[in-house]
Amino acid sequence: MSVRKKQARAPEESQFPNADFERIFHPESIAILGVSADENAAGFGTGMLRVLMEMGFEGKIYPVNPRGGSVFGLEIYRRVEDIPDRVDFAVIAVAAKLVPPALEACLKIGVAGAEILSSGFSELVTKEGVQLENQIREIASRGIRVVGPNCFGIYCPRSGLTMLPGPDLSRESGNVAFLAQSGGMAIDFAHAGQWRGVRFSKMVSFGNGADLREAELLCHLAGDPETEVISMYIEGIKDGDVFFRELKAAAARKPVIIFKGGLSKAGARSVASHTASMGGSGVIWSSVLKQTGAVQVFDTQELMQAVTAFSLLPKKSFRNIAVIGGGGAIGVAACDIAERHGIDIPPLSGDIRERIESLLPRPGSSAINPVDVANPLVAPSVLKKVLLNAAQDPRIELQIIVSLLFHYNPYAIMLDVPIDKMVPYKELVEAVDDVINKTGKPVVAVLPNARRGPGNMDITSLIASTRQEYVRRGIPVFDELHEAIRAIAHMNTYYGRRENEKR
Amino acid sequence: MKNDKAAKIIEKAVKKGRKALSEYESKQLLAAYGIPITKEILLKDKDGLPKAIEKIGFPLVMKGCSADIAHKTEKGLIHVDVRTATEAKKAYREIMAGMEGFEGGVLVQEMVKGRRELVMGLTRDPQFGPCVMFGLGGIFTEILRDVSFRRAPLEAYDAREMMKEIKGHKILDAVRGMEAADEKRLTEMLISIGRIGLENPDIMEIDLNPVILSGPKPVVVDALVVLKQRPD
Repeated sequence: MSVRKKQARAPEESQFPNADFERIFHPESIAILGVSADENAAGFGTGMLRVLMEMGFEGKIYPVNPRGGSVFGLEIYRRVEDIPDRVDFAVIAVAAKLVPPALEACLKIGVAGAEILSSGFSELVTKEGVQLENQIREIASRGIRVVGPNCFGIYCPRSGLTMLPGPDLSRESGNVAFLAQSGGMAIDFAHAGQWRGVRFSKMVSFGNGADLREAELLCHLAGDPETEVISMYIEGIKDGDVFFRELKAAAARKPVIIFKGGLSKAGARSVASHTASMGGSGVIWSSVLKQTGAVQVFDTQELMQAVTAFSLLPKKSFRNIAVIGGGGAIGVAACDIAERHGIDIPPLSGDIRERIESLLPRPGSSAINPVDVANPLVAPSVLKKVLLNAAQDPRIELQIIVSLLFHYNPYAIMLDVPIDKMVPYKELVEAVDDVINKTGKPVVAVLPNARRGPGNMDITSLIASTRQEYVRRGIPVFDELHEAIRAIAHMNTYYGRRENEKR
Repeated sequence: MKNDKAAKIIEKAVKKGRKALSEYESKQLLAAYGIPITKEILLKDKDGLPKAIEKIGFPLVMKGCSADIAHKTEKGLIHVDVRTATEAKKAYREIMAGMEGFEGGVLVQEMVKGRRELVMGLTRDPQFGPCVMFGLGGIFTEILRDVSFRRAPLEAYDAREMMKEIKGHKILDAVRGMEAADEKRLTEMLISIGRIGLENPDIMEIDLNPVILSGPKPVVVDALVVLKQRPD
């Protein structure tokens, strides 16, 4: 059969089975299969019941266990069929061999989707495990969509669905979606987002991915109005063809940022040509991601940093930036990093430069761009004027302010004042926020910390508080300058391509 | 739209249980997809030599051509810059002697002049299927590994991007008195290689190296098409 013909048929083929994602992500009622009557039981079912209640899930929760009884004041139903209500979503946490009948029962009463937390399936690479997973797939194909098995399931702040152990995840909904097979990766990403100011629309850990998995979830998120940025951690995919198509379609609508783990050289395959020997899976993955218009990152930190920028900054590229900070070396480093990433730090125009010069302490300062404020103790009111002036240069699209707050330490000791009373960090953040509002140009904050030892916990705490102030106002914060610039460069890669294609 | 001529070449080789196409067959297959190749004639006996010389014209390149022989250079099976009928006869004898009885013939081809050598190719990724390669050719392919890949099918945009992506992309510009490469032609070639991969599942790998820029025009000078291995 000719492949070209297959492509012509692609639109019909791209139809995934029906899924009522509204009932899956925002259920009004949940059944939890595998809840113990003992409130202190260690099982996933009881754990999930507890964390859903702590998250303040507003819908109805129906615990299920053949032994019946009650837990946390809720009646435990002996069978799913006994629940006197429509059930939108089910959490299945029973032993692997009991999963197929449990899922079958959920299908029978019209549950839209189920997450299967239980393990003991294809991940064991045993005949029995694979067979059980095939049974799950077969039941799913008859009209109930499955997340998992062997997963942490769904976290959705708007509905209050959460992962284990996630009773303290944010209920604040945001514009970032995250997909991963790995549950551990998902929950850590959710926690990291919390203090970085990244808020999630939906997060799915799909484990073995017996039914719902990367391509179909991508397709859903591409059309999901709650999601503006899609992030993914990928180990393996099921079908390269379908994945490619859905990724390309999704990336055409919104940024998709991917950390692909487990890249290897061609070594494993025996090949005869130079072409094949040079086209190892790492090279091909990078090429495919570029081709689809997705953004590739190489570790979880970089993923979170990129997501922070994409989520909080205006949806465009930033080719010319201003960097304001203390210390000439920072400025030199900034220029080197920026150049490597194709970003310009152009000298500010003459009159702007003069105005900034008149504001700064002398000697040691420089108003060219990067602007070196010479002294880390320059008052927020002065920094504000510097930022306002620099923003007047029409070329400048974004500003980065690097604050070396740890340098206040010796003065705090000298004056015997706690450092968080010494540093005007709230005023600093207010000043930056004012600049953003007045100029309409984004400012990104960088808060390095050269003093992270156990004797400097007060500084660590001060920087966390400063970050919190920024995050509260939706201003992106990075630990290091190169991380900020790299994240912006990822935006340039994504939006640059869109701007290119329009031309 | 399946390419019948290409399909026949592959089918014949597969039936014989061969692991690869000969250079001549590889290029016939490329030509069937509109990819520019060297002007060449495959000789099975020396009587055809004068006519081949007449058709192609000096200087010539003469190569031993067999699907069963790799590393032609090392075995002395390549004679370049052959300028006279006497030289051609001598080259023919030496090549035939070097073939050590392998089935094949002598490939008489035009000597393409050009200082810029590129590589193009195809690999079949287990996950993403046929992927097309572009990069610096000749001896630099292995030394610099300055190559880029795109998954088939390629759009013109993809082909242009993969050419821009290699570090040595300036080789395609008008440099040192050489003309800028015919980007449109290169784009078409890369797209066609992707099509070959999509339409012929028996092809596992392709190496086109070198693809020489003759003035602005790319020409495939050497080609290897590796076929799917079947269990014996």
